[in-house]
Amino acid sequence: MFRISKLVTGVAAAGLALTLGACGAGDPTAAKGSDGSKTAALRIGVTAYNMTSFITAGKEGMEAYAKANNIQLLWNSANDDVNTQAGQVDQFVNAGVDAIIVIPVQADSLGPQVEAANAKGIPILDVNAKLNNAALKASVQPDDVAAGAAEMQMMADKLGGKGNIVVLQGPIGQSGQIDRQTGIDQTLKKYPDIKVLAQDTANWDRDQAVNRMGNWISAFNGQIDGVVSQNDDMGIGALQAMKEAGISKPVVGIDGIEDGLNAVKSGEFIGTMLQNGTVELSAGLAVAAALAKKEDVNTKPVYNMPQITQANVDVAMQHVVTKRSDFLAQLPDLTAKNLKTGNIADEGIPAAS
Amino acid sequence: MSATAAVPLPRRRFSRDWIVAQLIRRAMLIVMLLVIAFFSYRSLRFSSLDNLQTILVAAAPFALIALGQTLVILTGGIDLSVGSVIAVAGMTGAAVAKSHPGQVWLTVLAAMAVGLLAGAINGFLVSRIDVPPFIATLGMLTAGSGVAFVIGHGAPINGLPAEFGTIANTKVLGLQIPVLLMIIGIVGFGIAMRRTAYGMRIYAVGGNRTAAEIAGVNARRTLFSVYAVSGLLAGISGVMLASRVSSGPPTLGQGYELDAIAAVVIGGASLMGGRGTVWGTALGLLLIQTLNNGLDLLLVPAYWQDVIKGVLIVAAVAVDVWSVRRRA
Repeated sequence: MFRISKLVTGVAAAGLALTLGACGAGDPTAAKGSDGSKTAALRIGVTAYNMTSFITAGKEGMEAYAKANNIQLLWNSANDDVNTQAGQVDQFVNAGVDAIIVIPVQADSLGPQVEAANAKGIPILDVNAKLNNAALKASVQPDDVAAGAAEMQMMADKLGGKGNIVVLQGPIGQSGQIDRQTGIDQTLKKYPDIKVLAQDTANWDRDQAVNRMGNWISAFNGQIDGVVSQNDDMGIGALQAMKEAGISKPVVGIDGIEDGLNAVKSGEFIGTMLQNGTVELSAGLAVAAALAKKEDVNTKPVYNMPQITQANVDVAMQHVVTKRSDFLAQLPDLTAKNLKTGNIADEGIPAAS
Repeated sequence: MSATAAVPLPRRRFSRDWIVAQLIRRAMLIVMLLVIAFFSYRSLRFSSLDNLQTILVAAAPFALIALGQTLVILTGGIDLSVGSVIAVAGMTGAAVAKSHPGQVWLTVLAAMAVGLLAGAINGFLVSRIDVPPFIATLGMLTAGSGVAFVIGHGAPINGLPAEFGTIANTKVLGLQIPVLLMIIGIVGFGIAMRRTAYGMRIYAVGGNRTAAEIAGVNARRTLFSVYAVSGLLAGISGVMLASRVSSGPPTLGQGYELDAIAAVVIGGASLMGGRGTVWGTALGLLLIQTLNNGLDLLLVPAYWQDVIKGVLIVAAVAVDVWSVRRRA
């Protein structure tokens, strides 16, 4: 049943998108659709780069917040294509939505679209990844530099400030990869006795990471003391490669995906940095809604990823996996509270020891 | 290799012509030996037994699809869909593993069935409807990628039961199962292509379909079978890949079809059909995987590795074309 209901939502969303496209410019009734009964509902358009697991989780968070706050979400995925995303923003502008959230495909894009939204007085903001554009009305971003610095710190503490590491990186040149590496390098500067044997990309991908790590194990026979991975997926790939080679060294990741949290729980990861898409994207929607209602709001809140170790992994696991529906139920209140305090990543996870 | 099998060897051994003919005939083997020699010289670790195992484990999923691709290319066709079939099979395996934990065989069979089905659809389109192979399998590549996302509701399937990981990570006779499958596949298809009537029919259809049909070969059935086999092997490859990392990402296998085609072409097969061998493909595949491994050992940046591989593919075919012309 759950699957079917999801399918129905998907079809409805697709239908909505079609209606938007077909009705075109200046038709304010274009996207009222099934929610027509709620007269004063805010209509907020969202375009995400693609439906990754992170975005899928974030969408659920947004939907929970929207439902509790009388917001109608118009959701679109750009399939990693800049032009598709530009078209989607154009449609939102033409349809005269109340606010537009962009989770961008690419940092240097959508200039004309942001201008068009501003010209029509529609607040537009970027969430989760940056658009290089000063004309945005708000920006809700994770601190990837801090996350990189913190994961490297965990590894440095584990190694006692001395040893040889390898670093698995995201796609070279992508903002997440650059920022996390900046953080890793910041911490590394404090530890001259930690040597980076090798660092290269595995494109956020488990499959690529397992082969690259396997080759590095061959290359540095017995010299690798730890693996710093810029995300959990690649870290899990590294674990697999080490299992195949019959060795076991500490690994640290970022993101806190389900398998990553499991690895923290079992002790295979020394830790990870939780980027809970559910919480982050819900905060983005809250900021957009406040701007649409012309309320006073912090337009540049920063998502500081909580550090997850064995000490607090159980709570994180409940929020992300095991007690997810409970967590979603309390999310709207949590989001509202966080927006006031300014700490939008606060989801009640105790500090890691 | 087989590319130049028709080069007549001069009668007298060790004459100048004989040596030149031998060199051309074995060009790819010589390149392979040179590459191995270079890496061994530059890195002490390269020629260790552990590293050999690392190379073989990485090669195995590619080997399965490259074998299927060899059969298809020998008939003068091409199978662009294997990357997507890997994704669909891997996602199916992961979904079944999640809903039926503990039933490992069901997982594997479901993935194989999905691969076979995709291959059978390709085969039907090519052999019965006469859709050009490029188009039929391009359609499957696109549709399959979509299906993989549909299965996972647009996201990777994670949190899989531990049994799922045992499929690819169990060792039999000291070898991981994918490596064992690779060896069985290469030897099995190598013999089948040389010694059985089925192999002869594939060469015949690829060499000259009309002549083959006059000689009584059922060309349509042969064509159908090679696409079905290619799909089945991609299905097995998909479940192995997903099991190895205990995850079902919808992007699994993306772009693998090109590596498989590259292995076949480097191995000396003609994209026109009728010419090529399983042994050649195995050599081409090992050359690509050896480069992947050796360049990592020498810490060559990942993007430069792609440049080197691209140059190698073109160079291999250029040498092949040149040597064929020389024979004329």
